[in-house]
Amino acid sequence: MRLHRRALLIAAALLSVAGAAAAAPQIDAPAPDFQAMDAEGHVRALKDFAGKVVVLEWISSDCPYTAKHYNSGTMQKLQKSARKQGVVWLTVSSAAPGRADYFTPQAALAWRGKVKSAATAILLDGDGKIGRAYGAKVTPHMFVIDAAGRLVYMGGIDDRPYADPSSLKGAKPYVALALADLKAGRAVATPVTAPYGCSIRYGAAGGF
Amino acid sequence: MRFWASVILALMMALPAAAQAPGATRHVAAELVADHQGLAPGGTIHVALRQQIQKGWHTYWRNSGDSGEPTRIKWTLPAGWQVGEFTWPAPQRIPVGPLMNYGYEGEVLLPMAVTAPATARPGDKVTLHAAVSLLVCAEVCIPEDDALSITLPVTAGPAPVDSKWAGPIAHAFAAAPQPAGLTATFQPHGPSVALAITGAALKGADLAGAYFYPFDATVIDHAKPQAIEGGKQGLTLTLTSGYAFQGGKAPPTLAGVLAFGGKAYEVAATAGAPPPGASGLGPPAAKGAPGADLGLAAAALFAFLGGLILNLMPCVFPILAMKAASLAGHGGESMAARRQGLAFGAGSIATFLALAGGLIALKAAGSAVGWGFQLQSPPVVAVLALLMLAVALNLSGLFEVGTSLQGAGSGLANKSGLAGAFFTGALAVVVAAPCTAPFMGPALGWALTQTPAAALTVFLFLGLGFAAPFVLVAYAPGVLSRLPRPGPWMETFRKALAFPMYAAAAWLTWVLAQQAGPEDLAKLFTAAILVALAGWLLGLRQRRAATGGLTTVTEMIVFMLVVLSVTAVAWPENKVAELSTEPYSPARVAELRAEGRPVFVNYTAAWCVSCQVNDRVALSTHAVAQAFARHKVAYLKADWTKRDATIAAELASHGRAGVPLYLMYGTHGGEAAILPSILTPDIVVKAVEAADKS
Repeated sequence: MRLHRRALLIAAALLSVAGAAAAAPQIDAPAPDFQAMDAEGHVRALKDFAGKVVVLEWISSDCPYTAKHYNSGTMQKLQKSARKQGVVWLTVSSAAPGRADYFTPQAALAWRGKVKSAATAILLDGDGKIGRAYGAKVTPHMFVIDAAGRLVYMGGIDDRPYADPSSLKGAKPYVALALADLKAGRAVATPVTAPYGCSIRYGAAGGF
Repeated sequence: MRFWASVILALMMALPAAAQAPGATRHVAAELVADHQGLAPGGTIHVALRQQIQKGWHTYWRNSGDSGEPTRIKWTLPAGWQVGEFTWPAPQRIPVGPLMNYGYEGEVLLPMAVTAPATARPGDKVTLHAAVSLLVCAEVCIPEDDALSITLPVTAGPAPVDSKWAGPIAHAFAAAPQPAGLTATFQPHGPSVALAITGAALKGADLAGAYFYPFDATVIDHAKPQAIEGGKQGLTLTLTSGYAFQGGKAPPTLAGVLAFGGKAYEVAATAGAPPPGASGLGPPAAKGAPGADLGLAAAALFAFLGGLILNLMPCVFPILAMKAASLAGHGGESMAARRQGLAFGAGSIATFLALAGGLIALKAAGSAVGWGFQLQSPPVVAVLALLMLAVALNLSGLFEVGTSLQGAGSGLANKSGLAGAFFTGALAVVVAAPCTAPFMGPALGWALTQTPAAALTVFLFLGLGFAAPFVLVAYAPGVLSRLPRPGPWMETFRKALAFPMYAAAAWLTWVLAQQAGPEDLAKLFTAAILVALAGWLLGLRQRRAATGGLTTVTEMIVFMLVVLSVTAVAWPENKVAELSTEPYSPARVAELRAEGRPVFVNYTAAWCVSCQVNDRVALSTHAVAQAFARHKVAYLKADWTKRDATIAAELASHGRAGVPLYLMYGTHGGEAAILPSILTPDIVVKAVEAADKS
């Protein structure tokens, strides 16, 4: 036992981070809990939103796919309509310190003002803990958690995996459809789709 | 220089699209090229989109992997003209942190067929316009749009080939996956999918490095390694299933490209049982890996030496020492001693061959196993721990097995004595198996990549080496007579030898603690107490045997206790989810190397004695820790205590079938240095220094 722990300690010390490993979350299973600081310095935890539908949205300030949805205003529109229905919308940045799109609180606030985000909060996940717990791969990667805390949707925001803004026209909006299904008390018709976008630039703590 | 010249040329030729700021730095120079200098009415030629990609950047294949976007082209054509889809050359794997992309670096040609209408007029020059949108990524991703065109003269007869581009376009087609009539099926197994592929193109081919690129981004987890198992007719890849398998569902097909050794073939797998001959030959040997070109003779020699060394393992030595001592008193009865020696040899060789057979059968069934596989199953570890305890209690004198030690001599020649020797041989092998001695690593690694017959030969020599010392003692009267005469001292000797066996039982319990939970440990301890109780009752009965009475009842109680204790520990496979904190992954190694850091990978397992010794005497020393800190070495630990296809594949790619394996990756690329299986702080420190210099 001691040998094992010692080897792990050395590995941890040398890597200066513990390699967190987790499998991709399962649909209809309880969504992994998390706790993180938001851009305004509040600590936010998933369990604080028990009883509410929660949307998780991964973003990167220099990703053309994030830009496609914000420059056109479709993301903000979806955020507003979701929040009007009582949905909690958490935007997450998992880019690690040192990456070009890493979010300090100031950078996150500046970005929020620039794109006029209507999200409930922007979570600063520079250590990648939330991203790894959810197996988030790209920006945007979307997750919907129902009022009972179960994961009911994960994947792309729509079915158009292109950076070209003209691809928005006629797209099938998976997240909007999932929220509509939840509101109507139905099971989410399409619970898993392929996410698309830019790779999330995680820090140096191993894989998923 | 030439690159930038062509970038400028491309910028001048292609009007930047609206999305692109004028004068922005481009990362891809795109142009259209044709393999003929024109085409006849109704004729078909090939046009390719040529991308010259800036160093360090990449564009994407038709399935871009975890992120990114495939290149798209939209044609504006005169009436009657037709252009087909891209033919995609097989992509490269481009790892990005913990993610995996499929794409192209450097230069790529994406060819398409262009067909002129029969009504085209010879002498005309026709310009075809195309809007190209592509995503080019390094750390950041940039969408680049190009408005390209190509002008083709319509000729009366077939047009001459274009001497500059006919060759490269033909090469692009050759590099594209070919249809080869392969038979393919897939079967989900928990979190993985076994993809079995057979066909003439795979028969007898070198399948090292084979990889399946799916067309659909949802069917597999792109970043996970693909374990390869060769077969007579093809291969089986163990893939990690993707989103499409969530909630017990499965996609109707698994279509994509199988690439190996510069070749690529189209594959379309349907759900179902694997075709015959898709597995059974183990992972293909990596080219140039140590052990890969080890001949059968050399492998057999190493196996023999390995077998000899196994005699000295702490869990084996007591058994052999007792057996040898019991022969000592019978210098006169040399025939009897010889028979005992042969029976022991037969027992150990038979057991080695049985283990080899089991290993080959498991591999044929598609399991990613290696040497020591028997210790990856918690019930087996628990039963072995109980067996060690029983042997220890026997040595301590709690009970006797068969005839008592003092009477062992009289039974030497009789049948039960021979059977006893046979099973002593079998027992010794079972307990020795995990102690993979350094000599055995390469030999077994080689054996498992060979045909079953060659593998069995290697295991046979392992058994011969293992049995040799004991058989020698039995056959050499000189040695036998030099062994001390039996006497009361043997009783003391025997009781002393019980302690290594207790230690072995304790060690196996520790291994179990790594694999299973506290409840399982509680079960093992309960079972251990039952075994001790059974041993004591048996001893009691043996001592009262003369006076008679209650013997059958006691025997039944002993039997039931043993059954009860074995049942208690042989519970079903432990279902705890993989939540290990294993920090090793091939992607992580690639990432660290990209950062220019030396990387040390320790392939180890809790049940591997030499690994634990190396951890203690070398890796846990101050000297090594300081060297690692000084050279900023990243230390990754690949824990093989439990079965793991990724690690098995990695071991196989270095020609090993078991742990330990120590790899040191240098800071300037190239292959990893393989450290010896027995480490000293000095070896590790020197390897670290060499890695930072290289």
